[in-house]
Amino acid sequence: MKRIYLFLVVCLALSGCEFDEDININPNKPSQASGGQLLANAMLSLPGLSSSPQGEFMAQYLSETQFPGGSLYPEGATSFYGLYSDPLMNLEEVIKADDLDAKEGPVANQKAVAKVLKAYYFWNITDRWGDVPFSQALTGLNNFSPAYDTQESIYNSLFVLLDSANQGFVAGDIANDIIYGGKVDKWKKLGNTIRLLMALRLSEVNATKGKEEFNKALAAGVMTSNEDNFTFKHLGVVANENYWYSQVGRQKRLWWALSETLVNTMKPTSDPRLAVYADPNEKGEYVGLKFGKLEGGAPAEYAMLGSDIWKQDAPVYLVTYAQVLFAKAEAAKRGWITGSDVEAKTNYEEAIKQSLKQWTGSDAGAGAFLQQPTIAYNPATALEQIGTQRYIHLFMHGYEAWAEWRRTGFPANLIMPSDKAIPTRLMYPAQEAANNTANYKAALQRLGGTDGLYGKVWWDKN
Amino acid sequence: MKKTLLFLLTLVSSLSIAYAQQREISGRVTASDDGSGLPGVSVVVKGTTIGTSTDADGRYNLRVEENSVLVFSFLGYLPKEVPVSGQTTMNVVLAPDAKQLGEVVVTALGIERSERSLGYSTQEVKGENLTFTKEQNVLGSLAGKVAGVQVAGSSGASMGGTQKIQIRGVNSVTGGGQPLVVIDGTPISNANFAGRNGADYGNLAQDINPEDIESVNVLKGPTASALYGIRGQYGVIMITTKKGSKGPKKVVVQLNSAFSLEKVGNLMPMQNLYGGGSTQTFRTLANGQKYVDGTDESWGPKMDGTNVRHMHSFYPQDPMYGQLEPFVAHPDNIRDFFETGFNLNNGVSVAGGNENSTFRLSYNNTYIEGVEPNTWLKRNNLGVSASLDLSKKVSVSTNFNYANNNGQRPSQGYYEGSRNFTQWFQRNLDMKRLKNYKYSDGTFYHWNTNRPTAEGVITDPEPVDWNNPYFEAYENINSDNRERFFGDVGLTYQVLPELKLSGFVRSDMFTQNIEHKEAAGGRYEDGYSVAKYQNREMNYEFLAQYTKDLNDFSFNVNLGANLYDRHYTFLSQATAGGLSSPGFYNIGASRERPTSGREDYPSYLLRKKLQSVYGMATIGYKDTYFIDFSVRRDHSSTLSDPYYYPSVSGSFVFSELLNWKPLSFGKLRASYAQAGNDVAVYATSLNYEVGGLYGNESGTTNTSYVPDVLNNPDIKPSFATSYELGVDLKFFNGRLGADFTYYQQRNRDDVIALNVSGASGYTSAYVNAGLMVNRGIEVALTGTPLQTGKFSWDVAFNLARNRGTVKELYPGLDSRLIESNSYSGVSMYLYSTVGQPFGTIVGQAYQRDEATGKVLLGSNNQPLYTTATHNFGTVLPDATGGFQNTFRFGQFDLGAMIDYQLGGQFFSWSRMLAVKAGLAPETAAINENGKNVRDPLAEGGGVKVNGIYGPGVKINGVDVSGQEFNGFVDAKTYYRTTIGTRVYEEWLYDASYIRLREVRLGYTLSRTALGKLPFERVGIAFIARNPAMIWQKAPDGLNPAELATGASSFSWLETGGLNTVRSYGVNLNITF
Repeated sequence: MKRIYLFLVVCLALSGCEFDEDININPNKPSQASGGQLLANAMLSLPGLSSSPQGEFMAQYLSETQFPGGSLYPEGATSFYGLYSDPLMNLEEVIKADDLDAKEGPVANQKAVAKVLKAYYFWNITDRWGDVPFSQALTGLNNFSPAYDTQESIYNSLFVLLDSANQGFVAGDIANDIIYGGKVDKWKKLGNTIRLLMALRLSEVNATKGKEEFNKALAAGVMTSNEDNFTFKHLGVVANENYWYSQVGRQKRLWWALSETLVNTMKPTSDPRLAVYADPNEKGEYVGLKFGKLEGGAPAEYAMLGSDIWKQDAPVYLVTYAQVLFAKAEAAKRGWITGSDVEAKTNYEEAIKQSLKQWTGSDAGAGAFLQQPTIAYNPATALEQIGTQRYIHLFMHGYEAWAEWRRTGFPANLIMPSDKAIPTRLMYPAQEAANNTANYKAALQRLGGTDGLYGKVWWDKN
Repeated sequence: MKKTLLFLLTLVSSLSIAYAQQREISGRVTASDDGSGLPGVSVVVKGTTIGTSTDADGRYNLRVEENSVLVFSFLGYLPKEVPVSGQTTMNVVLAPDAKQLGEVVVTALGIERSERSLGYSTQEVKGENLTFTKEQNVLGSLAGKVAGVQVAGSSGASMGGTQKIQIRGVNSVTGGGQPLVVIDGTPISNANFAGRNGADYGNLAQDINPEDIESVNVLKGPTASALYGIRGQYGVIMITTKKGSKGPKKVVVQLNSAFSLEKVGNLMPMQNLYGGGSTQTFRTLANGQKYVDGTDESWGPKMDGTNVRHMHSFYPQDPMYGQLEPFVAHPDNIRDFFETGFNLNNGVSVAGGNENSTFRLSYNNTYIEGVEPNTWLKRNNLGVSASLDLSKKVSVSTNFNYANNNGQRPSQGYYEGSRNFTQWFQRNLDMKRLKNYKYSDGTFYHWNTNRPTAEGVITDPEPVDWNNPYFEAYENINSDNRERFFGDVGLTYQVLPELKLSGFVRSDMFTQNIEHKEAAGGRYEDGYSVAKYQNREMNYEFLAQYTKDLNDFSFNVNLGANLYDRHYTFLSQATAGGLSSPGFYNIGASRERPTSGREDYPSYLLRKKLQSVYGMATIGYKDTYFIDFSVRRDHSSTLSDPYYYPSVSGSFVFSELLNWKPLSFGKLRASYAQAGNDVAVYATSLNYEVGGLYGNESGTTNTSYVPDVLNNPDIKPSFATSYELGVDLKFFNGRLGADFTYYQQRNRDDVIALNVSGASGYTSAYVNAGLMVNRGIEVALTGTPLQTGKFSWDVAFNLARNRGTVKELYPGLDSRLIESNSYSGVSMYLYSTVGQPFGTIVGQAYQRDEATGKVLLGSNNQPLYTTATHNFGTVLPDATGGFQNTFRFGQFDLGAMIDYQLGGQFFSWSRMLAVKAGLAPETAAINENGKNVRDPLAEGGGVKVNGIYGPGVKINGVDVSGQEFNGFVDAKTYYRTTIGTRVYEEWLYDASYIRLREVRLGYTLSRTALGKLPFERVGIAFIARNPAMIWQKAPDGLNPAELATGASSFSWLETGGLNTVRSYGVNLNITF
């Protein structure tokens, strides 16, 4: 007791005692994070770019059996905040870091992988929302209200970023890579493939630039087999399970049937992928549910989302070799690369083969399938055939299929639920109106003054 | 327990024996008006500085010379001089000075002061006023009793659930800010481990035994609590416990026993015409049998007695397997679920003392069985307080409180517990049938599974959304327990009659355990989570008090120092991927790597220290004019710099000068103060976060990420500056009293996690920001309208009105999101917005025609709605208060406590879902055609809608915008798809209410009536807690007074709160 008095009296006299130096060091959080760990964390967010009912509805892959809501295209904001604050901020940290540990692989490769991923995330973001913060984004304290860049300038910047990534790769694998197991040559191909697909996106708005970037990407080296696919491999544990498993398996939500549009496209051609995409109804038949039907439908009567798709460890395909082949087919048809119809046909057929292989594990049925009158390459309808087959291939990567639909108009048979047109962009996060008012308003001005689902992004001239 | 008691008794008696007596004068000073002992009376030998003061019971002893004269003086009483003349016992009676009416009140740091000298408002509630219907949670029992103190409570079904206090409105742009709770000078934790969902464990201040409370003083603003510095910004609830009193053979034993029955009340009205299903036609099996759909809504067929297969008939284990039974309503199915609970409370206290010691021991035991099946709470409270004079000048004292709680509580919210009865349910379900939830083979019966196949087979017997409520009650168990200790040890040294030095070591510690068991066979994977929280707060305190009267001046100076030291840890774990064997509830049973469960961290450590010095001086002149100064210096370990918090206040007892007879007492007061708040621990350090794992057979990858919230090393503490003006009046010797207060409080530079554009890479960043101004008035009236020989009627009324405005946020920022709520993709937000009152609700409203105000309609005649941008105004009330009446007639007493709130609003998720799911009465009402709204439109059914077609609306290609529609629309589309999902305007309710909170009818048997029985006094009373809501603006089934959850510091969101509970009982009180 006396010592305490003494202490207090001394404190009083000196008006202040020192605290233990470590009292403010947070023992509950790490003060260091390795580049590899930050990269791995950014990779954990990848499935979210694909596994979303909203994306499937935009592409009309899935119809709602119960509680139709999202498939009726309700007005409402979709937030992009999580993409910036989670994966992109980690990637930015790696790109800017000056203390990366070479024990996790060459620092140059850590940075190059971060750039590829950053480009991929931003490509997704801008294709969904249009103009978004880019050049002033991800600077934290320096700018809490970053301006919105035009999509055109974002595309240009991403081409530069991907080019710099491509130049940056050196020999040597990296650690903590949960996508490619550290193999940087695959990351390099991925970066160039993203650049290739982004270039094709410019077909309607700036074909010259598109063609130029497309060929640069090809020259730099794109994916050459399904082994190169950019796939997020889910695992059979709760922490790394497939989103659709948490919905259908865990929560028993028999909410999603394949859309009538998709089934009616695949069934007449006996598409071998249909049995993977869907489980047949009670009668053993593949019956699609009309998209956007107000009253939904009984799960027992329709072809429901396939158990191969929703199983706990089902992979998510983000960027695939077949997409490269479809892109080359289209580029040949457009004259961006040489070979015209011959080259287009070759790539188109190979794309379908690789798609079958990807989805069914075999291309054994490809020969017969390619003989189907509507499938066989027809120079007169080649762009539509490529578009439709790409759509089928992109199953469950709704946002990408939706972007390609907006660019090309294919497939041509998507419908308007309850007379509502298919949206052409997503609405900005509602909080932006409060958090980033001036820049948000400026971005809206470029959309004609209001936020909505029907403004068009820059490359969407269709 | 018994051993402890015996030990303590032995300890105290041996101490008193061991102490050597000295010959001296002793006695007791009492008041002439009620004969009670007067504490703190100054007893001084005339012409010297030798003296003492009386203890809590008015007793004193003093060594004096034979021929001296003693001067007894005490504020509010006429002084008295008495010659010693050889006496050894001198009992003195002091008469009140009519002009000097005014009570002694406990102020900051436990310093007792005359009310007349206070320049700010403080309001005291006596202990008996808190326990008159045996309310268990001291914060809850303050409801309506103190002007400007708003208590938001929760349902009694959680047995000790959350009670939240807000003093003078919301004082932070973040909405935070709970007052500090201090018991006998020891600040104690009032933490809350509950969230919006799951069990409500309540606020930790409930560990105080209400029977131990002598009085509660609420220090409302920074002025009153400036001496608490960083911790006192939001006011202080000061609790003083009962003590023993000095004197020979004065032992008082009290027994207290109460038993009450608990029943649910205010059940939400429901429709009883249509049962489970999504369409009005029955589904049929291949064999033609109709069956009840296992869906969780009541948009199904009419409950007309048709023989159908019910869900249980699909379970082969069920006695009714394969059989048809009539499809009928069970109008009381919700009521049938609840049980009649009870609350048994037994307590004993022993108090006494001798010439140089005081002692009080109390023990209380509470056992509650809740209204929800299989829920209970057990609580034990043990309290000891003792003091001993070691010498004439040195005394030691201690307060020791121990409490333990063991509970098994119901879940609230969504997806757990029974709250889906009003959210997603079937009106045809028979609770008696659901009660047999477990088949003899150990499998479970659930009502909400996916549909059977055409052959009548349910492929998955586990439910889609909702477990059988009895499965929830008996298989999915929440349990919690807490061991709590708080108390102090003190040493006081009366150096001189004017100078007292004291030192205290104070402690508050608890260990809280929370676990949840999730059984196999239900909606979720089986699992187990457990968390253990340990908190230790020590306060080392030194205080010097100097009091001196010099001619017409009085001086009172206090100097003190305090060292606060907190050490807090927790461990939290949950199994992942299921249990290795069903019913083995252990982290070791986890199939996959366990997660951190209910917390963000599996283990956590917090350390914090606070060094403070403070001083206060009061100068009085002629006992009429007073002025106070105080200053406190706080240096928190979370900040690099110390900060100073000053206050000044003054009072003027103008009745001294007026000499107007009806006015017995009149005082003007004014004050100014600054208090602060702290910065959260580690808020200034920059860290990474531990991210998710990616693990497979070839190894595990650990990840890290940049936090979403950016810490700021330059953060400062926030400041509250307040001004207060008031007048206290007492008329007719106290028969009528009135206190008025006006205050203004400016809270600046709150430490807020500022929401920033996520594109910056962070979702929020800690900054100092904001200016929140609260202005308000408080009125407290007390009176005794009637007082005849046997009959008296006492009234107390209070009213407080607070208007808070957010003046500033952060440069360039107009609004800040405080909370949001989403359902079915529709969100509602609560904002702080510059220029508006705190807490504005923003959400989806009807689109309306500007000219007529009529609702705009779309092409399907359904209402159109805005995006989530409509501002519905503040959630905070216009006024709050209480009204208390006490009647005494002979041996009878009747008391009734009413609390009320005017204005404010809340969103009810349960009501919205009751409508959306086709449960609420309006979804099956009769329309003006005499048809049920669910009947086909073609047959005159449908919901009446009147509105104007919105801009650009086309029907069959024709533009109909601007045209009026007055007709009927499909009920399910209207209620389920349109308003029940998208129009939040419909589900916002005015939170005004007037509630009868407590009623007591008592009878006291006097000493004479008890004859030879060994009792001093026996009281018996009928008590009722929460017996009736007198008036509320919100619909039946909602309770605007019970919206508190652990998650939010103010109440605007009802997402499935537990049902209201009413209790009625008997209380027996025996004094020996």
